[in-house]
Amino acid sequence: MKFKFIPLCAIAAAMLASCAKKADNTELYQEIKSVDKMVFASMAITKTSKMESSGWYTVGKRIAVYSYDSYMRAYIDLSTLQMDDLVFDDKNMTVKVTLPPVVTEIAGRDMEMRKEYDNIGMLRSDIDSKERAEMKEKANASFKAEVEENPTFRQQLIDAAQRKARKYFETIFEANGYTASIDFKPSK
Amino acid sequence: MKENKNTKLNRKLIILAAIAAVILVVAIYFSLPSYKKTIEVGKGRIANIETMAQLCVIDLYNEVPILDTINDKVMFAIQKQRGSVSFDLENMHIDADGDTVKVTLSPEIIDIYEATEDNSWEVIDTKAIGTLALLKSDKFTDEEENALKANIREKTCKQLYHNGTIKRARAEAAENLRSLMEKVYRKPVKVTDPTPLGARYEEYK
Repeated sequence: MKFKFIPLCAIAAAMLASCAKKADNTELYQEIKSVDKMVFASMAITKTSKMESSGWYTVGKRIAVYSYDSYMRAYIDLSTLQMDDLVFDDKNMTVKVTLPPVVTEIAGRDMEMRKEYDNIGMLRSDIDSKERAEMKEKANASFKAEVEENPTFRQQLIDAAQRKARKYFETIFEANGYTASIDFKPSK
Repeated sequence: MKENKNTKLNRKLIILAAIAAVILVVAIYFSLPSYKKTIEVGKGRIANIETMAQLCVIDLYNEVPILDTINDKVMFAIQKQRGSVSFDLENMHIDADGDTVKVTLSPEIIDIYEATEDNSWEVIDTKAIGTLALLKSDKFTDEEENALKANIREKTCKQLYHNGTIKRARAEAAENLRSLMEKVYRKPVKVTDPTPLGARYEEYK
């Protein structure tokens, strides 16, 4: 009886262990990262997605158009700013500042989708959440490819950020009585 | 006897006609274009470019299970979120008149977005609940889905206040700001935080 009980316990333990392992694998991910970024510009990019479905046996149209915005931002990493990046000339009350390069990143996208248009026939079914998610997924893949292939988005954002950074630091040094000339390190 | 033979013949003919009809229907079914769903995506266009001066001290990445009910419809989904906690430097009060520069930390800006990684919004299932649930549609309308997503954003914000992320962000912002301002002013800098737990802590308590 005792010997029968041991293998049963072993099997149960193995099953529990495998369940625990499974639970670990399905645990969702969370990350909170400390950064020291100074954001100078953000850009909203609108993507539009159109879905149409039909078959020989369907009666009526089933068309829907949705849009949403994705966001990019441009920042400088302040943690790389060194003391010798600021050269003060106290005699002439000027300062020469060499800021770290402006970096861009995709900040995320809207959670909500805007319905731009729909034409769902009386005998056709409404668009469901999974279909909307599919439309968003396709639009997102296209957005990422566009950002990768088309440097215009990044360049416009970098230009805007550099202008703003210049203005911001000039103002801040001016308040301290200095005339600043702002420059940026080249991006690696 | 003859009548019996005719009946048998008729039966055979009926069976043959039925088989032919089935073959015809199957042939029509396969020859006609089947159900087709197309998704077309337009080119991205810049909606706006906004300039700012914000100190971002925390980047967030979250993958959360969503279980929510709107109008007797339940949705279970998994969402990947990206976000940040920042501070507006342009509206920060700076007093640089004395020997020590005094800076007052501004309210935090919390941005929560859906991530742009693949499958960042994955709908697992939807169902209708309540009386006569079987007769009701389980499909979320745009408005219902958007309301659900607004709830998600609020819940994530609340969580950030509750788990101390905002408190940590404010402490880090004070430290980072002090370091930056000391480089600019070349004087000691004191950063005062009027709401160390977060400007909207009471609202989310």
